[in-house]
Amino acid sequence: MSTSEFEEIIVLEEQLIEAEATAPRPVELAAQDVSVWFGKRKVLEGVSIDFPKNTVTALIGPSGCGKSTFIRTLNRLHELIPGAALAGQVVYEGQDIYSKDVDPVHIRLKIGMVFQKPNPFPSMTIRGNVLSGLKLSGMKRSGHDEIVEETLTKAGLWKEVKDRLNHAAGDLSGGQQQRLVIARALAVNPHVLLMDEPCSALDPASTLKIEETIRDLSSSVTIVIVTHNMQQAVRVADNTAFFLASENEPGHVVEQGVTTDIFGNPQDQRTLDYVNGRFG
Amino acid sequence: MTTHTEVFDESRLVELREQLPIRPWRSKPRRFTWSVIIASLAPAVFVGLLYVFADIPGALLLVAVYLPVQIFASGLAAYVTRGTRGIADSVIIVNAIGATVFTGIILASLLGSLIIRGWAALSAHFIFQNNVYINPSTPLEYGGIGHAILGTFLIVLISAVIAVPIGIATAVYITEVRGRAVPYVRFFVQAMSGVPSVVAGLFILTTLVVTGALSQSALAGGLAYAILMLPTVARTAEEVLKLVPEELRTGALALGSTRSRTVFRVVLPAAKTGIITAIILGIARVIGETAPLLLAAGNADQTVVNPTGSPISSIPTYIFNNVALPYPDAVTRAWGAALVLIVLVAVLFTLARVIGARKPGR
Amino acid sequence: MANPDLGQRDLQAAATSHRGDRIFNRVVTGAAFTALLVLAGIAVFLGIQVIPAFQSQGLSFLTSTGWDINTDPPTAGIFGMLYGSLLIAGIGLVIGTPVALLLSIFLVFIAPPRVSRILTNFIDLMAAIPSVILGLWAFYILNSQAQVWQELLNQYLGWIPIFQNDSGNFQGTPFIAGFVLAIMMIPIVTSVTREVLGRTPPELINASEALGCSMWTMLRYVALPYGRGGIVGGIMLGLGRALGETVAVFFVLKIVFDTNWYHVIESGGGSVATLIVSRFGEVSGAFELNLLLAAGFFLFLGTLIVNVIANLIVTRTGRLQK
Repeated sequence: MSTSEFEEIIVLEEQLIEAEATAPRPVELAAQDVSVWFGKRKVLEGVSIDFPKNTVTALIGPSGCGKSTFIRTLNRLHELIPGAALAGQVVYEGQDIYSKDVDPVHIRLKIGMVFQKPNPFPSMTIRGNVLSGLKLSGMKRSGHDEIVEETLTKAGLWKEVKDRLNHAAGDLSGGQQQRLVIARALAVNPHVLLMDEPCSALDPASTLKIEETIRDLSSSVTIVIVTHNMQQAVRVADNTAFFLASENEPGHVVEQGVTTDIFGNPQDQRTLDYVNGRFG
Repeated sequence: MTTHTEVFDESRLVELREQLPIRPWRSKPRRFTWSVIIASLAPAVFVGLLYVFADIPGALLLVAVYLPVQIFASGLAAYVTRGTRGIADSVIIVNAIGATVFTGIILASLLGSLIIRGWAALSAHFIFQNNVYINPSTPLEYGGIGHAILGTFLIVLISAVIAVPIGIATAVYITEVRGRAVPYVRFFVQAMSGVPSVVAGLFILTTLVVTGALSQSALAGGLAYAILMLPTVARTAEEVLKLVPEELRTGALALGSTRSRTVFRVVLPAAKTGIITAIILGIARVIGETAPLLLAAGNADQTVVNPTGSPISSIPTYIFNNVALPYPDAVTRAWGAALVLIVLVAVLFTLARVIGARKPGR
Repeated sequence: MANPDLGQRDLQAAATSHRGDRIFNRVVTGAAFTALLVLAGIAVFLGIQVIPAFQSQGLSFLTSTGWDINTDPPTAGIFGMLYGSLLIAGIGLVIGTPVALLLSIFLVFIAPPRVSRILTNFIDLMAAIPSVILGLWAFYILNSQAQVWQELLNQYLGWIPIFQNDSGNFQGTPFIAGFVLAIMMIPIVTSVTREVLGRTPPELINASEALGCSMWTMLRYVALPYGRGGIVGGIMLGLGRALGETVAVFFVLKIVFDTNWYHVIESGGGSVATLIVSRFGEVSGAFELNLLLAAGFFLFLGTLIVNVIANLIVTRTGRLQK
């Protein structure tokens, strides 16, 4: 093989990688014209976002713009709040998850969630917490020990806790608890992982670890993350959607797109102001 | 020449070390101290002298003489130190302390008489023997309340088996299922907690005993107790389930859990200690109730273990039957049984406090 | 719930679409209605006992006094008992309420927190003392003391009609029964009022202190008005308990069927609950039992009404304060 041929192959390969990176991936989850009410109050209006497979999408925006409410509509946790109502569709694997014949339990198994405050089950051990999803959902998966090791490794916690798997989960630090909760969510093999400000209650070191975990996971899981931290969105997200609610008006998406565009070259003045920290 | 930097003068250390702390906000004028001392001592001395030299009963002296004198003295002291505004305060404080002392005396009298009079009856056979061949004039060397203790345990056990699951389920309906009827269910539970114990006994009597479905027995008594226990368990369990953080519920549901699995595997285990407290408080609520058992469980001298067939004795009914008998030994037995009962109540009560004080979910 | 005009979708129906959950929901909901079932059961089964009592006695069962079951025709009237229950509960209120209120003021505003905590434990224990033990104590300890008090009351205040006593017999009076009920009510009322007073917002207390209010003015214009509803509700809860009390009263009240209107230190009075227990032991047949059950129905009705009002007041003030 001559040098020129070799170079040609390298160029081709680079082009291929680039193409792969920029090529539109299949959409795994999509919100279509979602509007949300609490009682009579409309809090979100006409939100449509596509979440391509194995990407990280960040939802940013000031407090009270409906990001957290929106993310909870994506796995049907929204409906647990009394007086909650919704219009529009959330499509997962080509099916509307809110249609009559869909079991919400099944949806929540495929679309996992991590919350703002770490919420390990206090009555269970570390190991019990990781496996709790299997028990709670009645799912049968063999090889529990492997699942525990695999998911804790993925969540970046294995090394720290492998010698005390039978300790109470409450003994862990806040950052460790959050990673334990991520491991717990991964143990049921979700296709999508929703994260509602997962780092807002954590110190910077733990935040960094969780961000690494998110980057690692994104090769196999579709991730949606709500964050207040714009640097975090830049660091972890492929795509970003900017939510905004003006006073007494429901929130909506002002701008969405590839993260570098949203932060480097926003089209809307409000987005520009927000990402430059002029409000919010 | 002046400089901006200043060096600490080491020689001041000696002087500083000798500084004494002062608390100007604490120091009271001398007049204040004296007023308080006189106001506290004078009425007590006055009434003490009256008690010694005049033939006036203690209770009357306390209520009719000491209290007014003390109020007057404290009011005067308050006027001297704080002016007119102090008088009303001193009246309130004296009366509040008076009410507390009054309640304390009654409680002390109750507990003291129980211990002093009940102690005479206590012995090993008093706890273990039954009442067969014992009549009111039998000396204390014979007989005991073993059958009544066993009866109480049996009846309480039956009532707990019935009331605890229903009570917890009621609380689960209110805090977990959150159906549309929650305010009504709460209302009915509260109304049920006001049912007089004698009415609970009458209800079981008329529906089950009079109709012949059940004779006077531990089961009938347990059912009557269950009516009284259910609201206590339900209300306490509701309070503790409310303390379970909402994140645990959404966390479980987000893992694909069903509502029922969330309740059984996450919420109830997290509230375990609180649930135990609720059960103990429910038991403490009923264990001394007498009227329902007089009607529904009846009375027996022998030890009964059959929960349905025959009347059965219990500690409260044993006390009830012995209180007014004209035989000192029978009355002493009643005090002894009362001491055993109050110890049981106090143990349950302390247990509930100790367990309930633990943090939920630990 | 869902408003189709806005394009809203029905979420509540779907929320419990899982089959296991539907069964769970049904079971739990069923259990939650046990309380209603029991209340309805009591009302119905004791209620039907009223029919034969009324057929025999008419309305005079409630308005007359007397209990001659073995005469022909038998006469039975429980007015004296109904009135007596109210009278002794009223005496209990008069004695117990000020004590409970002052006690909770002491616990909340005067005592140091540690002392307050210890005392609160004792008062809760007092609430847990079984009524049969209270009766035992009242029969042997309180009774002899109360004789002296009543004689003194009669001696010095006998010119007031309620403290008249012509017989010289101070045993089994409504006063003693009421005193025992007061002891029973004090911990119940205190636990509610203590809670209510303790919830007075510290901002209000601080504000009144900043204005130079004394404790009295703070209580008068801030704490008591703020907690008024809860205090009234707590007193009514105690009243409900006192109306239904049976065994403690049994040992210290001489049951007489004639109405003792206001002679509180004259021997003899009435109480529906105690009547039931005292007659039950020597009940002469199905008819007398029926009369007792009918009396029980009216006792149930009375306590139910008092309790419902009390709970409505307590919950309403609780809501207002949130």
